[in-house]
Amino acid sequence: MSHGRESSGTAVITANAVRKTFGGGSVVAVEDADFTVRKGEFISLVGPSGCGKSTLLRMVAGLLERSSGVLQVHDRDVHGPSRSVAMMFQKPTLLDWRTSIENVLLPTEIAGRVGDDDRRKAMELLDLTGLRDFAFSFPSQLSGGMQQRVALARLLQTGADILLLDEPFGALDEFTREHLNVELMRIVAEVDATTLFVTHNIGEAIYLADRVFVMTPRPGRIAGIVEVPFERPRAPSLQQGAEFNSLVSDVRKIFEGAK
Amino acid sequence: MTETADLGGRAPRSRNRAIAAKHLAIFLALIVSWEIACRFGWLDPLFFPYPSAILVGFWRLYVSQGNIWPHLGLTMAEVLAGFAAGSALGIGLAICVGMVDRLRRYLKPYVIVLEATPRIAIGPVIIAAFGFGWTSKTAIVMLVCFFAPFVNTLNGMVGVEAEKLSMFRSMGANKVQTFTKLLLPSALPEISAGLRLAMASALGGALVAEFIASNAGLGVLITQYTGTLNMTSAFVCVLTLSALGYFIFRGMEALDRIVVFWSDRDRIDAAGRRRKAAWRARMGDRA
Ligand SMILES: Nc1ncnc2c1ncn2[C@@H]1O[C@H](COP(=O)(O)OP(=O)(O)O)[C@@H](O)[C@H]1O
Ligand SMILES: [Mg+2]
Repeated sequence: MSHGRESSGTAVITANAVRKTFGGGSVVAVEDADFTVRKGEFISLVGPSGCGKSTLLRMVAGLLERSSGVLQVHDRDVHGPSRSVAMMFQKPTLLDWRTSIENVLLPTEIAGRVGDDDRRKAMELLDLTGLRDFAFSFPSQLSGGMQQRVALARLLQTGADILLLDEPFGALDEFTREHLNVELMRIVAEVDATTLFVTHNIGEAIYLADRVFVMTPRPGRIAGIVEVPFERPRAPSLQQGAEFNSLVSDVRKIFEGAK
Repeated sequence: MTETADLGGRAPRSRNRAIAAKHLAIFLALIVSWEIACRFGWLDPLFFPYPSAILVGFWRLYVSQGNIWPHLGLTMAEVLAGFAAGSALGIGLAICVGMVDRLRRYLKPYVIVLEATPRIAIGPVIIAAFGFGWTSKTAIVMLVCFFAPFVNTLNGMVGVEAEKLSMFRSMGANKVQTFTKLLLPSALPEISAGLRLAMASALGGALVAEFIASNAGLGVLITQYTGTLNMTSAFVCVLTLSALGYFIFRGMEALDRIVVFWSDRDRIDAAGRRRKAAWRARMGDRA
């Protein structure tokens, strides 16, 4: 599990002066974003709501065209969705008329024919997210946390190596969220993905990430980057340590400096 | 999970029987008090005939003379044909409009104006165009049945959450896939509700159309019987329509439960079990 950390990895996402305005330029949602994400890295994007986190993520996903700047994924300019990037949202966005396993198989169905290998893979992913026993349950029979586990399995079923998660557990209660965060770390390490994780919770951002991008609002820009030196796997108790707290105050200082 | 479902299924059955018994008792009490009201002269039997007389009327119209059948058949044919054509047109047009954003914007004012127009006001125009036969009646039913499915289908498609559409886009889904796998199933509950509304107004539409101008059908029969003060036979026709409306409503409800199975707990359980069995049959026992 040589997950992330070493700064020598190849760049998979590169942003250069990426800008996004809405309303004919009157609202600047993202201003001059400059960053590189390396293969296998886990990046947290933290900031208050409305600072442009989702906008930035949607641009990387190819769901939103940037107003200016250079944005590349695997050295190719981003224009529209790509096979190597998959996105997960705050709402589970499951289809109510499909069982868990059928929901997980959706990306395969859209990409082409579903074979028995795909079915086996989907079942393994449900196993990985701890939901094998609920493979034939419908979304309305699952709790919010379980629904997000299905959505996570579906995210992995796409086969994308870059995962974008926009406050994926933001609508869940704190206990479920913490538990799923631990699971998420384990899972992305196992599938060896590059992850961009959006949150407005500073502690969560640090706990999960190799590097934290700190975003400040009006206009939305990346005001600073905080390196997180902790080894993996990380125990939840890490969050009580002095070193962790000093990282939290580093992030806070960036917010205050931006005011 | 299955145990609770089975337990849950058994308990209401005896309760259902008790409820049915109560309904029957209330119904009989109503009939008896109607009969009594007639006998004591509180109700004028000229306009509100004895229930016993109506019962005899049923025998006459359905069996001994049997003259209700062609009219009943015609009205039913008008209702079914008009409903099928009108709702198919409504759903089909809504899908076309729903798939093209620009069309939706331009069509909206027309839909609002047409929706605000009392449908039956166009009735005489249609009769003028199609004549007194069954075509004009079917056309009126079609018109009556068009709007609810049209508006509901459109609403159902427009109401799909933006995040779900984003998800489909990020998976690289094309228009057809987005429609068949997301928009249409999402809209099914509303489409089904629209069909129920359409069916509920179809019978009324056919009847009013027959009142306006016609030479056959239950509406014509009612007009003829009331015109000759044969209230007993008129009531037989009205009660026939009540029964017809009731069964149509029940049929639509049953259809809704099948089509929108995921809103019903018991059906969800059954569907889950079926799909699990299918998976096991295909993939071996390691499900
Ligand atoms: N489609 C849009 N049209 C106009 N303004 C938008 C749109 N999407 C986002 N914005 C604006 O851009 C800013 C950033 O939004 P967003 O990226 O959703 O923030 P976050 O995800 O950090 O909460 C907000 O001020 C928001 O109002
Ligand atoms: Mg957001």
